[in-house]
Amino acid sequence: MFIASFLARRLFQGALIVLLVSAIIFTLLRVVPGDPVRLMAGGMAPEALIEQIAEDMGLRDPIYQQFGRYVGGMLQGDLGQSFVRPANGASVGGASFDDNTRSERAEVWDLIANTAPMTLQLALLAMVFALIIAVPIGVWGGLRPGEFPDRFALYLSSVFVSLPNFWLGIVLALVLSVKLKLLPAIGYDGFAYTILPALVLAVEIAPFIIRTLTVSVAGVMGQNFIDIAAVRGLTRNQIIFHHALKNSAVPLLNLLGVQFSMLLGGVLVIEFIFDYPGLGLLTINAVMQRDFPLIQGIAIVTAAAFVLINIVVDLCATAIDPRLEY
Amino acid sequence: MALDTAHSTEALLSVRGLTVTLESEGKTRAILEDISFDLKPREILSVIGESGSGKTVLARALVSWLSAPLRVTSGEVLFSGSDLIADKAYAKSLAGREIAYVGGNPAGALDPTMTVGAQLVEKLRAVRPDISAADAKEKAIRLLGAVKIPSAERRYHEYPFQYSGGMMQRVMIVDALISDPALLIADNITQPLDVTVAAQILKLMRELNADFSTAILFICSSLPVACDAGDEVMVLHAGRVVERQSSANLVAKPEHTYTRQLIEELPTLWADDRKGRDTPPNRDQQAIMSVRGVAKYYATRGKTGKALVQAVRNVEFDVFPGDNFGIVGESGCGKSSLLRLLTGLERPDAGSIFFEGENVGEASSKRLRALRRHFQLVLQDPYGSLPPQSAIGSILEEPLKIHGIGDRKERRERARAAMSEVGLNEALYDSLPTGLSAGQRQRLNVARAMILEPRLLIMDETLSALDQTEQGKLLDLFERLQAQHGFTYIFISHDLTMVRRVCSRIAVMYLGETVEVAPNERLFFDPGHPYSRALLSAAPTLEERRYRPEDCLLEGEPPSPIDLPPGCAFASRCPHVFERCHKENPALTSRGNHALAACFLDSNTGAKDSIHD
Repeated sequence: MFIASFLARRLFQGALIVLLVSAIIFTLLRVVPGDPVRLMAGGMAPEALIEQIAEDMGLRDPIYQQFGRYVGGMLQGDLGQSFVRPANGASVGGASFDDNTRSERAEVWDLIANTAPMTLQLALLAMVFALIIAVPIGVWGGLRPGEFPDRFALYLSSVFVSLPNFWLGIVLALVLSVKLKLLPAIGYDGFAYTILPALVLAVEIAPFIIRTLTVSVAGVMGQNFIDIAAVRGLTRNQIIFHHALKNSAVPLLNLLGVQFSMLLGGVLVIEFIFDYPGLGLLTINAVMQRDFPLIQGIAIVTAAAFVLINIVVDLCATAIDPRLEY
Repeated sequence: MALDTAHSTEALLSVRGLTVTLESEGKTRAILEDISFDLKPREILSVIGESGSGKTVLARALVSWLSAPLRVTSGEVLFSGSDLIADKAYAKSLAGREIAYVGGNPAGALDPTMTVGAQLVEKLRAVRPDISAADAKEKAIRLLGAVKIPSAERRYHEYPFQYSGGMMQRVMIVDALISDPALLIADNITQPLDVTVAAQILKLMRELNADFSTAILFICSSLPVACDAGDEVMVLHAGRVVERQSSANLVAKPEHTYTRQLIEELPTLWADDRKGRDTPPNRDQQAIMSVRGVAKYYATRGKTGKALVQAVRNVEFDVFPGDNFGIVGESGCGKSSLLRLLTGLERPDAGSIFFEGENVGEASSKRLRALRRHFQLVLQDPYGSLPPQSAIGSILEEPLKIHGIGDRKERRERARAAMSEVGLNEALYDSLPTGLSAGQRQRLNVARAMILEPRLLIMDETLSALDQTEQGKLLDLFERLQAQHGFTYIFISHDLTMVRRVCSRIAVMYLGETVEVAPNERLFFDPGHPYSRALLSAAPTLEERRYRPEDCLLEGEPPSPIDLPPGCAFASRCPHVFERCHKENPALTSRGNHALAACFLDSNTGAKDSIHD
C-alpha cells in the first residue's frame, strides 16, 4: 500500500520533471545560433530549397507549436528523426543537397536504444570496480578513525581524485593495451572493450565512495547502539556486518544513485577517448552536428533515467532505514 | 569492610579492592578507589552517588566496558568465584548472557534499522546459540508481554523509533533478561523517564526480580529512588564506598556525614509548610501574561498519511506581576510548544496570549521584537544555548545591539554589571564560554536574558541540567534578582520539588491541556485533578507519601497526541474514570480561592482528600 502510493506519487513527479526538462532543452536548442537545415541540406543548397525543407519539417512554426507536436510524438514513443544520421547506418550526411540517403533518416529512439545498453554496461562495470576498490578501504578506514587505515583511505582518495581521467585513460591504454597487450582499448568488439574505460571511471568515482563510507561508518560506530552491542553480548562480526554496515549504507546509496546517474548521462570524455560507442559519444556527435532531435532525445532519456534511479534509491533507502520517508 | 566479608562464599558478585584510574595528559587520577562489596543472588543493591562519584564507571567496570583512558589498576571482580578482570575471555563469554546491562539511554540503545523483535532474537541467539529462532521469538514475545507492553505480538515487529522512551526502556529490560542472567546491572535506568513512567518501571523491576530470580545492582543518582528500589543501599562518594545499609536504616540512621548531608539537602514536598511562596498576587492589577484557550497543531506526514499532532490544546492561565508561575508536566505534554507560543516564536492556531494587554499571537514581527525586550527566555540546555565561538562579553552585548541600546562603552558596562550580578567573574569578559561549567553557563544565560531589563522571564527547564547544590544557588540568585528588579518568572519544569520550593501558582499540563491551575499549597495538599495526584504520588521523595502510586495511576502510557480519544485525555490512566469521561472533555472550573481543575469528579474527590489534612 505504501509502495503503491509512493510509486504513483514519485512517477507523477518524475513525469513532470521530464516534461520540464524537455521544454527547457527544446527552447534552448532553438534559440542558439546555427541553422540545422543548412547543415542537413549541405552548404551548396539554394536558399529556396532550405526554406522549403524547413517549412516541410515545421521548423518555421512558433516554438510552442513545435514543442506540442514533439510532446505528442513523445507520448507515443516517437522521439522524432535525426536531422543528420541516415537510417542505414552509413556515414554522416554529406555536403551535397541531393544525397539520396537523406530521405530515410534514422529514428532517434533507435539510435538511443542502440547505444544506451553500451553505456549501461560501462556504467555498471565501472560501479562494480569502484565498489570493489572503495568498500574495503572505506569500511576499514571508518572502523579505525584517526589511525593508519583512515589516513590511508584519505591519501588514496586524494591521489585518485587528482588524476585527470583523460590522462589516466591514455596512460592505461598505453600500458595495458599497447605495451602489455592485456586489454583492447579502442572501439567496441566484445565485452573486453568495456574493461579499460570502466577501470578509468572507477578510479574517478572511488574516492567519493571511500570518503562517504569512512565518514558514515565512523559516525555509526560512535553511536550508542553499537557501543552497547558488545555489552549485550553480540560478537564483533555481528556488530560490524549486521548493524554498522547496514546503518552506513544509506548515505552510500544516495551517493551511488547520483554517481550512477552521472555515468548514464554519458561519460563524454572517456567514451570519446576510447571511441566507445555509448550515449556519450552519440551526444558529442549530435552536438557537433547540431542534430536537434537527437540531442533532445538523449536529454529526455537521461532525465527519465535520473528520475527512475532516484526512485529506486529512495525505495532502497526506506527498505534499509524505515525511519526515512520520501 | 566488615559487612562485606561476612558471606563472601555465597556471593554471586564480589568486588574486592577495585580501583579504576583515568589517565589524561600524563596525569593519573583515581575515579574509583578500593571499592569492595558483595551481592548475593536475588538481592537488589542500590548504588547512589552524585554525578562524578564514579557510579557509571563502576557499572562499566563490572560489565567489562571500560575503554581508554579509563583503566582498572588493581582489584578483583569475582563472579561466582572467578575474576573477570584477569580473565577477559571469561568476562566476554558472560557479557549479555549471565551479566546483563541496562543503561540510562534507551532511545539509542537499539539499531534503528531493525525491528525490536529481530534484535531481541539476535541477542538471545548470540549468547545462547542452542536456542532455535522460533523458540527465541516465542520467548521474546512472552517477555515483552511480561513487561506489560500492550499487544506484544504486534509490537515485536515494530521498529525502535515507534516506541516511546518508557516502552523502549521496557524493551531494554527484556533485552537484558531474555538470556536469564544471574546479574543485572541497571545504570540510571529511570533517569531519562518521566516520574510516572519511572515509577512504573521501578515497580516492574521489583516484580521481575521476584519472578526471574536475578540479582540487581541498581545504580542511580536519586536517594529516594535508590531507597525505593533496593533492599540495601550503598553510598558512593568521590570514588569510595562510604556506607552500606538497608534502605530503611540508611534514612533513619545514616552513619557517614556525606549521607546525612544528602538526606538533609533533599527537597521535600510536604514536610514543612513554611515553604511554597504562597503570597497571593494582587489580583486588582492587570495580569502580566494572560493565556486564553490557546491551541497549536503541527501537521506531520507519516507512512499512513497526514496526521495532526495536537501539541497544545485549551491552555488557560493568568500570570500576575511578582508571581512565580510554574508550569509542570511530563515530557510530551506540550510544555515546550507552549513556550514557543508564549514567546511569540510561533503563533497559536486558536486562542490568544496577552502580554500586558497586548496580543502576542497577533503582533507584527516588528512589534513582537519590541515586546520581547520585556519578556525574555532562558533555555534548558546550558551547552547548546550559547554560541561557542563568541566571547562571553559579546554574547551579553548582543541583545543590546539588536535592540539598539547604548553605545559601545555603555554596552560594555552593562554587560560587566550583569556578569557581576549573576556571580560571574568579570575577568571572564573576553573568554569563550567553552571553559564554563553547566552552572556558570546557566548564569550566563540568565545574565543574557536580564540585560534588557525585562519584566517577565520565562525559564524553560533552566535548572534541570544542574545538580542539587547548583540548583539551590541559582534559585537563590533568582530570588535576589526578583527582589531587586521586580521580575515575574514563569518556570517550565518537570521537577515537582523545584516547583514546590519556588512557585506561587502552578499549572499542571497533560497532553497539551492545563488540567489544573492552583496556588502552591492547594496543589500539593488538595489537588483537584487525578493526574496531579498521580504526579505527586510518583514524585521521588523520602517523605511519607500523601498519595500512593497504586491508588493514583493505572498501568499504561499516555495516548498519542496524534490520535487523541474523545473525552478526557487522562481517562485511559485514571483510576476514577467513569462513563462521562469517555464522552466529554471537562473544562477548567473554579474550586474556589483561585484554584481551577478540569475534572468531573472534582468536588467528590477533593472532599475525600481533604479528610487527610
